[in-house]
Amino acid sequence: MHFYCVGGLTVDSEIALPGRAAQDKGEAEIKIRRGPVPETLESASSSGITWQIAGSKFLLRIPDIARFLLSDGREIAVAAEPAADEADLSAFIMGGALGILLQQRGQIVLQASAVRVGGKAAVFCGGSGVGKSTLAAALAQRGYPLLTDDVCVITADGGAPMVHSDGGRLSLWAQAIERLELADRRGARLRERIEKYDVEPPAVCDTALPLGAIYALREARPPLAVGIERPNVVDAALLLRRCAYRPLLIETMAQRPNYFRAAAAAANAAGIYNFTRHFRFAGLVDDIGMLEQHWQECGLTEKAA
Amino acid sequence: MRTIWLASYPKSGNTWFRMLVANLAATDDKPVDINDLPERGGIASARWPFDHLTLIDSGLLTHDECDSLRPRVYEELARGADDDEYDEKSEAPPVRFVKVHDAYTLTPKGEPLLAGRNGADGAIVIVRDPRDIAPSLASHNNSSIDNSISFMSDSRAAFCGQGGRQHNQLRQQLPGWSGHIASWLEQRDIPMHLIRYEDMQADTASVFARALAFAGRAATEAEIARAVKFAAFGELQAQERDRGFREAPRQQAGGNFFRRGEAGAWRDELTAEQVARIECDHAEMMQRLGYELSAAPVAQPVKESAK
Repeated sequence: MHFYCVGGLTVDSEIALPGRAAQDKGEAEIKIRRGPVPETLESASSSGITWQIAGSKFLLRIPDIARFLLSDGREIAVAAEPAADEADLSAFIMGGALGILLQQRGQIVLQASAVRVGGKAAVFCGGSGVGKSTLAAALAQRGYPLLTDDVCVITADGGAPMVHSDGGRLSLWAQAIERLELADRRGARLRERIEKYDVEPPAVCDTALPLGAIYALREARPPLAVGIERPNVVDAALLLRRCAYRPLLIETMAQRPNYFRAAAAAANAAGIYNFTRHFRFAGLVDDIGMLEQHWQECGLTEKAA
Repeated sequence: MRTIWLASYPKSGNTWFRMLVANLAATDDKPVDINDLPERGGIASARWPFDHLTLIDSGLLTHDECDSLRPRVYEELARGADDDEYDEKSEAPPVRFVKVHDAYTLTPKGEPLLAGRNGADGAIVIVRDPRDIAPSLASHNNSSIDNSISFMSDSRAAFCGQGGRQHNQLRQQLPGWSGHIASWLEQRDIPMHLIRYEDMQADTASVFARALAFAGRAATEAEIARAVKFAAFGELQAQERDRGFREAPRQQAGGNFFRRGEAGAWRDELTAEQVARIECDHAEMMQRLGYELSAAPVAQPVKESAK
């Protein structure tokens, strides 16, 4: 068995996952096991292209790769399709099933990366391809330890919102590895046919941190200009919902109020911002400069003397 | 709600057509902002609706694996699925026009990528003289005209098809200019209406009106006339000059998305050799579409028979 800590929860998996192994602490909160998974769920209450929900069961089907049965937010049963290998399974557990299981638990889960800045978490969210991992990797190189790469759990049990680690993993495309000069930290491919790799992060933080700021990454295309701006409360709530791990499920799982409350708490305790930037490697230095200035202005770091 | 594909090879007038449609609903008696074209239903190859509706990070899939799932996405969208959680629900347009640059291909599982009749009610196919596309595509791709001519004859060409990085859109197969158009003209899944860019330019109102009638989008003569005026090429160019255009490609260094928009500009942009290459590569399709070749196709030299 392999043990991990993801989103503040202990995971006991029969399938090896990327990221840092954790110590075996007995009964894990989430179990991942190989096992039979049905093709469909009987009496499903809602469904989509690749998924069905029936009561506390969630069926996720990745065609020709695997079927995942998520139960009660506690267990993932994995049935591999004939052509799938181990890497395929771990890629879609870390890049799908596990995040959805956390959503099934009713937690606030964002598709986001995060780094530690002066004892707090700076979170970067947005859909696939907006540069979350690349920006986080570049920040980690500059000495801001990586907290999460993709699955970002935020809890607020009455107190200040806390951001949790997703286990010290980082995955980057071949081009990003080359441009960031991270070849010596490159590990295995996520999947054999995809040129995306596990990368040993330059610096890691594996303890939960209070939320410092949330940035929604947007591309600077007309009429959007480069910069960091704070949207109004209503837009901030919409923005957080759009940055959910799988936004479609918020409506389906009737979790809109949770995300609305989380947005209010995040806006109060920290701040939700739009970060508009050019999607190019050459701009990363400027991006980091803009962020560092913003962190000084909002008190996440001390002003330089 | 009806769905109509606006299918074209790149740089063939697709965006112009979308601007015309958008300006049918212009209010305040002024042209619609080119950066206000609804993003919803923007282009068939957009990554976000795929990820959103499948719950799968498309970055973890190969291009072929994405293609196998794409028909399901188009079926859901045609049935009225929301492709976004961000927009508050707005009234559905009477006809959903969706831009598509993909050739009409079959997935690895052998079904139409665009889901046939389940994906759309019909297609408006817009074609343009390939000699005018070549310089425009070169500007769009920040590449040379010769490279564009090669791209336009490459049966394996694609947009967003390389590995090693995440593209902003899903792969779009563009199997050469002739191959691309043939794929659309020869499909028998959905009704089709063919438009030539040059005809749209010569008599915009009539060509646009006939296309709208095909699509089932009602519009009065006055609305059409106003849309034609508001989406005139000079107006689009002026807006791009003043405020930029968010759909312009990232790599387009210093150029404009709305570049010349003229029919026949190739005469002063291409060398004789470039013209000959394009006409040689695409003679059959050009003639099929009524694009006159500048010279009779060069006959294969007849070998001298042995005496």
